[in-house]
Amino acid sequence: MTSFVAVLRKDLLLEVRGGQSTVALGALSLLVLVVLVFAFNPGGGEQGAEAAAGALWVALVFSGMLGATRAVSAENENGCIRALLMSPLDRAALYAAKLAAAFIFMAVAEAASIILMVLFFNLEFDARVMRLVPAVLLGALGFAALATLLAGISSRLRGGDLILPLLAVPMFVPALIAGVKASASALGGASLAELALWLKVLIAFDVMFVAAGYLLFEYVAGEE
Amino acid sequence: MNGRAVRLGLGLVTLALMLAALYMVFVYVPTEADQGIVQRIFYFHVPCAWVAFASFALVAIAGVFYLWLGQQVWDDLGYAAAESGMVFCTLVLVTGSIWAKPIWGAWWTWDSRLTTTLILWLLYGGYLMLRAMAGDSEQGARFGAVVGIVAAIDVPIVIVSVRLWRTIHPAVLVTRQGGHGLEDPRMVATLLVSLAAFTALFIWILCLRFVTLRMRTRLGALARSLALAEAAAQD
Repeated sequence: MTSFVAVLRKDLLLEVRGGQSTVALGALSLLVLVVLVFAFNPGGGEQGAEAAAGALWVALVFSGMLGATRAVSAENENGCIRALLMSPLDRAALYAAKLAAAFIFMAVAEAASIILMVLFFNLEFDARVMRLVPAVLLGALGFAALATLLAGISSRLRGGDLILPLLAVPMFVPALIAGVKASASALGGASLAELALWLKVLIAFDVMFVAAGYLLFEYVAGEE
Repeated sequence: MNGRAVRLGLGLVTLALMLAALYMVFVYVPTEADQGIVQRIFYFHVPCAWVAFASFALVAIAGVFYLWLGQQVWDDLGYAAAESGMVFCTLVLVTGSIWAKPIWGAWWTWDSRLTTTLILWLLYGGYLMLRAMAGDSEQGARFGAVVGIVAAIDVPIVIVSVRLWRTIHPAVLVTRQGGHGLEDPRMVATLLVSLAAFTALFIWILCLRFVTLRMRTRLGALARSLALAEAAAQD
């Protein structure tokens, strides 16, 4: 537990003292939302809410990919990963810390994207927007769990940047379906109880992928 | 040379079953009343789907054993299964589209089983790209095992979520009351023979690929020990 806190603290400290991850993630989310406004040309109202929910999740996927890559590949620069692996640090704790860092970066970027989404898609800041929060947080956790594990793979291959989206996006599909559905109905005025089915799918996804990453990261961040 | 005889026998069995299946599909089985002649593609479509799913399960099982025991043979099996499974998964999508055009009026719909199969195809396409990129290394084998396992974990939740999303695929094998099943016993017989033929075909292809990969592993080990011996001779 202390090693988990130490690695997470190091990552957050790096970020606060001039790391650019959250800024880059936020900027990427902003760009994705702008592009999708041009693509969908939303007119507001019922359809606007659905387009907004879709745009929000596209932004989440893109920023998640960047967030996990930053959290993991930052260690590969200057060979810091070797020092981490040589230290008596449990690989699973390393995974948990990297996952937590990626999740925090993503959550900050998501908060920014939700605000931007409301502005760009002409929605209202009301209870409906607040009901997005559980689905988006669960989605961010699931994507961070998946992408942290896969970034451990892609960061160690030549040309690996290409392989991360190719693996992560198809695997994220169940959470994407549930997240978009939940967000669209939340923005359409559904209560939290009505979202329960989709939130359950998201929770199942999170539990499975956090567990899988925790158990398998050891083989990804292996010796050599 | 024993292995060669086994592979030859397997090939001959596959050939015989495949000829029998072709005869049954095109001559023996009656034409389905509602869908007409197009329905006959079903006898190839379903066996391909079964083989594709079985092979992807095999990828995950081989991955678990590779990570557990660390023996190269498990990785060769998993890699061979992923490659062969990809062929059949592609065939499922192609035969399904050919059937769907006259019956549903569209090549593709975002029905739950179609979507699930497409996602499966994308997942294992990613697996194969990863293997190609990682090359012939112990690291590539480890990464392949991890991705194979994670992909298999993903499949059940893909199925559930996509089913909640939408479904219009005919439930042929799981007949509910009043649903469409295979009314004629000849249809059931044809399906069973086709299933056997495609299973045999899959096992045969898997064997050939597996043997090739085993040889490549052995060749790599020989090349390494040769290089070591040469280096030692030079000293």
